[in-house]
Amino acid sequence: MNNLPEPTGAAIDEPISGRIQPGRYYGRSIPYLPINGYPGKLIAVEGTDSVGRTTQIQLLREWLEVKGYGVVETGWTRSPLMQPTIELAKSSNTLNKLTFVLLYATDFADRLEKEIIPALKAGFVVLTDRYIFTALARAGVRGVDRAWLRNLYGFAIAPHLVFYLKVDVDTLIGRVLLSRGMDFWESGMDLKHGDDIYDSFRAYQQRLLREYASMADEFNFNVLDARRSINKIQDELRRKVQAFLEPSQ
Amino acid sequence: MTFSLLHATDFADRLLYNIIPPLKAGMIVLADRYAYTAFARDATRGVDRQWVRELYSFAVRPDLALYFRVPIDVSLDRLMARRVKLKFYEAGMDLGWSANPIESFRLFQGKVLDEYDRLVDEYGLSVISAVGSITEQQRLVRDLVAKHVETTHVIRSAEVLDEQPA
Repeated sequence: MNNLPEPTGAAIDEPISGRIQPGRYYGRSIPYLPINGYPGKLIAVEGTDSVGRTTQIQLLREWLEVKGYGVVETGWTRSPLMQPTIELAKSSNTLNKLTFVLLYATDFADRLEKEIIPALKAGFVVLTDRYIFTALARAGVRGVDRAWLRNLYGFAIAPHLVFYLKVDVDTLIGRVLLSRGMDFWESGMDLKHGDDIYDSFRAYQQRLLREYASMADEFNFNVLDARRSINKIQDELRRKVQAFLEPSQ
Repeated sequence: MTFSLLHATDFADRLLYNIIPPLKAGMIVLADRYAYTAFARDATRGVDRQWVRELYSFAVRPDLALYFRVPIDVSLDRLMARRVKLKFYEAGMDLGWSANPIESFRLFQGKVLDEYDRLVDEYGLSVISAVGSITEQQRLVRDLVAKHVETTHVIRSAEVLDEQPA
């Protein structure tokens, strides 16, 4: 049983890094959607669960709108096309690591074509709550081939800014327990490292954090210490966003 | 892109549940359409050719891939003889090339056939003319398949018997 391609033509796994141009496709583009010269800006806020991404985006959005920017928000698995399917698939036990990855990629493609690209074309600031790095981290932990993943997400647009809200696993555990508690997928229970949800959560999130850390250089993350207060983090975000959007001031 | 990715998801699911297990058990798996369908159809819809090929690199390469080639007019006649309406996506209506389903089908499937022709060399598909009678085609199919299956199956059954506990 050989795997399928080694097709004719171009080299297969060109690494994404080293030639990232913000606002352009990472890899092989969507040929029918040229995006060169679109005036909008894409800002991604990444991080594991309970690091305060949503809160920070909400505050950033208000601030940007007061300053007169048009803002569009998008978030992981929020596409109208795929959200019901993903919820259904997660509730059954039939997902494997490949279909898991591909369902997320479909959701992302839908939001990219229907929300992100039109907004960039119209000059909006697009704030995205999680981006492809979430998918790369989760799939990486599950042992999906890295070169394949990077080709898969080659149709993603490189954000102008990527903020990574970083915490340590102990802080993360405290926050999750104080809010919703640990759920099946966030604990990586599908990886079957044991029956104990606490141990599984800790091990899984630790591996996720390592995956994110390994992408920080590759994808030019702006790393923010997410253990600080909401306001401190927001101040730093605003400073950096302002420096990017209004470099002269 | 979503059309392409949804089909890839479906394919991955079938590959892991319906194709790989019987292959491991030494069975013959007959697949009605395979990744090549996606290569041809997605490229026609404007998705990057290389990207789709790499997307499907998790697929098992078939021992034998048969491509039934048919001119547009023949396939259109056959479809119209059976049902009045062409399916929306089958006719490529999503691309907006023509408001007339038959005209759209001609344009879309014409390009799909061009893409298949590329695949014949690239992946070594065995071409069977689907214009001839069913009997003729089936004879060709059986000849091709026979070359692949006649070598191993007798020996395998003996091995299984030996492994049974006393």
